[in-house]
Amino acid sequence: MEGKRSKVRMCCLCNQSRASLNRPKTLQQICRDCFYLSFENEIHQLIIDNHLFTPGDRVAIGASGGKDSTVLAYVLSKLNRVHNYGLNLFLLSVDEGITGYRDDSLETVHRNQVQFGLPLKVVSYKDLYGWTMDEIVKLIGLKNNCTFCGVFRRQALDRGAAFLKADKLVTGHNADDIAETVLLNILRGDIARLSRCSSIITGEDGPIPRCKPFKYTYEKEIVMYAYFKRLDYFSTECIYSPNAYRGFAREFIKDLERIRPRAILDIIKSGENFRISTNTKMPEQGTCERCGYISSQKWCKACVLLDGLNRGLPKLGIGRSRPGIGCKEENESRGVKSIESKQCGSLDF
Amino acid sequence: MQLTLEFGGGLELLCDSKKIHNVNVEQQNGEDKLTMKGLLSWVKTNLIKERPEMFMKGDTVRPGVLVLVNDCDWELSGQLSTLLEEKDVVVFISTLHGG
Amino acid sequence: MACNGAGGCQSGCYKDEEPTSDQPTASSETDSRSSSNLCIKCKLNDAISGYGGIDDGRFCADCFKSNLFGKFRFAVTSNAMISPTDKVLVAFSGGPSSRVALQFVHDMQERAHKNFEASRDRSLPVFGVGVVFIDETAVLPIPSHEMEEAVEVINLIVSSLSPPRKELHLVPIETVYSSDSTDGKERLIELMNAVSDPTGREDMLLCLRMLALQKVASEFGYNRIVLGSCISRIAAHVVSATVKGQGYSLPADIQYVDARWEIPVVLPLRDCFAQEINMFCWLDSLKTIKLSTGPSSSINSLVSSFVALLQEENPSRESTIVRTAGKLIPFHFNRIPEIVDGNVPLATRRRQKRYNLKSNESVSSESFCLLCNSPLDKSEIVDWSNHKNCKNSDTFYTSCCSSCQFQILPPDSTSMEKFYMHLPHSVVSRANQANNGNLKALREQIQDCLLSDGEEET
Repeated sequence: MEGKRSKVRMCCLCNQSRASLNRPKTLQQICRDCFYLSFENEIHQLIIDNHLFTPGDRVAIGASGGKDSTVLAYVLSKLNRVHNYGLNLFLLSVDEGITGYRDDSLETVHRNQVQFGLPLKVVSYKDLYGWTMDEIVKLIGLKNNCTFCGVFRRQALDRGAAFLKADKLVTGHNADDIAETVLLNILRGDIARLSRCSSIITGEDGPIPRCKPFKYTYEKEIVMYAYFKRLDYFSTECIYSPNAYRGFAREFIKDLERIRPRAILDIIKSGENFRISTNTKMPEQGTCERCGYISSQKWCKACVLLDGLNRGLPKLGIGRSRPGIGCKEENESRGVKSIESKQCGSLDF
Repeated sequence: MQLTLEFGGGLELLCDSKKIHNVNVEQQNGEDKLTMKGLLSWVKTNLIKERPEMFMKGDTVRPGVLVLVNDCDWELSGQLSTLLEEKDVVVFISTLHGG
Repeated sequence: MACNGAGGCQSGCYKDEEPTSDQPTASSETDSRSSSNLCIKCKLNDAISGYGGIDDGRFCADCFKSNLFGKFRFAVTSNAMISPTDKVLVAFSGGPSSRVALQFVHDMQERAHKNFEASRDRSLPVFGVGVVFIDETAVLPIPSHEMEEAVEVINLIVSSLSPPRKELHLVPIETVYSSDSTDGKERLIELMNAVSDPTGREDMLLCLRMLALQKVASEFGYNRIVLGSCISRIAAHVVSATVKGQGYSLPADIQYVDARWEIPVVLPLRDCFAQEINMFCWLDSLKTIKLSTGPSSSINSLVSSFVALLQEENPSRESTIVRTAGKLIPFHFNRIPEIVDGNVPLATRRRQKRYNLKSNESVSSESFCLLCNSPLDKSEIVDWSNHKNCKNSDTFYTSCCSSCQFQILPPDSTSMEKFYMHLPHSVVSRANQANNGNLKALREQIQDCLLSDGEEET
């Protein structure tokens, strides 16, 4: 290539503006405005086709201040206005009580509240469980802390949503997340989760149904959208998570995306098409005796963990006392790679 | 060549937590053209202070890192063979963070 | 009261679960001293280790070998894979898995032969065994001297596995065209060149390989094809099929038996790890061949490396993957069809009944991709009423699964026409069968409304 840079390409949809990006989903070279439209319309269509909402619904948007939830809040509130969904939207944030990390991301959410004009509710571990993550880590160290956080967070969102009388909870889990989860469940032998994880709505029989409007949205597009629209989001690793690892599974998905971008959607399609044998024993759903949350055991996991903390027996409910199992946590605190990208369990839906 | 480089999505942590860098890139090997490939190796040597594997894999960026040259996806301009010009703005965003 | 975390806890326990029940637990012996472990089976000799897999360090060499053969034999008997009247064709690539499969099939046959010789009435016949090797030099960049050497080695191996004597079939991949035309090799090359996606090319080759196997088996009177696919290979297939969007058809390819073909295909090494197989070859000095087929940039090789990496980190990974996929519903053709032949010994028929194998239901309840023969999911099944006046090649295209459409078949109608012309007749004729099947099914549905000739309307 000599002389000037290669010719400017025009958007293949409108042919009027310069193309700004290559959509991984469709391999189209499109301009920014066409991108915004396609991006937003696909999500709108998904919401309509799957009957995610009813007019009048109170919808809590799980907001962490990160890219997915920020873009979700922005797009959802825009679609709500433009297409008259008639929804009452608000932001729901969880404060785990991690100094330096959560403070900053919560600040972002507060800014979003102002920027997008959505009310915000913050639920804290302290209020719900009587412990902050800082306090827990002080007690148990850096091993197994992610276990606590993951379990507590999941319940915190549900409890926060219930407290606010929400009808639905939406989270920003994107196509890459769901593809990773499908793979992880195969790798870990979790057939129960495998059957649920590619559904766009989960927990319909539980306290609050959860939806994932970004189910088919590529992570790359979310970042592009946020970048072009100059949306404000926060992106730092949780300070308690081991340094410098990206799960094997996520790495694999990224390598895959590079060879064949549609593979991410293909994994989700496979997940949707898996038919689980009826012979397989699936756990029964009941409620926790202590707090009433859904559980397949007598006590839900959070109650078990809390009980341990409160009694000064923080190991209670962590793994099993068999050789080899502890190794996983050892590896994590030493920064050795694990198979999943988010140790905090936020991929569990 | 004067360039503005931006790091986002957590990549700034690899370069002293600084998001925007105004740099002057010296051409290597006496070549008068600077490609993205050349820029990447320059960045790796001069700006990335820790964990280079989070930024690059082989001679290209790690999968999951978006690259924009003047607000345009580098996939449209030939990725590594993209030619850079004076005063160009190159943005690197990592997509690998929770949200 | 602690959540045992078997993956079902709703309260969000996410831990990296390995279901406890069927996981082999480390015995107390191996916990103590890692340097000199006694074999846990015979407790006499030192255990061998270092080859990986979940049984690493538990058995001595002899017990290890008999354990491996035991897994093979169990798979064969519990799935009624081989009966005394069968004629079995072993697909031999020269690699360790098919080498071990061949060895074990031979050992079994040899034992049966000895019993036959020793028995007075000689009532129970010995099953026959043949070996087939497919020469793919027409489509893969294998150096010719390598192939020549390989053929020599294969001949030696097969002749050494005697008695009982086994016939060796060395066939070139272009044999799939041999009954259609004389320019098979050229057509094959044209066909492969029309596929641009590297993964598509590899998968296309797999389809052709199976076609060649079916052809040889059918021509020479074999009624079973044995593949050496082991857990490691199956685990990789589970992941790569998932990645290609084949979640619906995935269970069809990973069972012990695959009877959707004219000659059923069986996988007796399905419970064995690649690491164990390699160790076995090393222990018994079994010669294997590795042909240089060039570098691969396909999804299949990315997946293989990924799974191998995971297996290194966790030796039970491959078996977990296969066990998970094993919980997906298999298809009706994933079992040996019941034998109605009166010549089959009663014992065999009783064994089939005992293991609850039902008779072969009609296959028309599933539709199959015309190219790769995978069962089609709902979204891929075509409504034939709209496709009456299309070109044959277009009809063929729409009758294939979405994976083949994406990675193998050309996207536009003109190239598709050319591609269609280069397909072997055996593939093209599937289209006609499918069409006829559909017409028949359609007619059956409207049978009641049809007036027969000569009847008058009142």
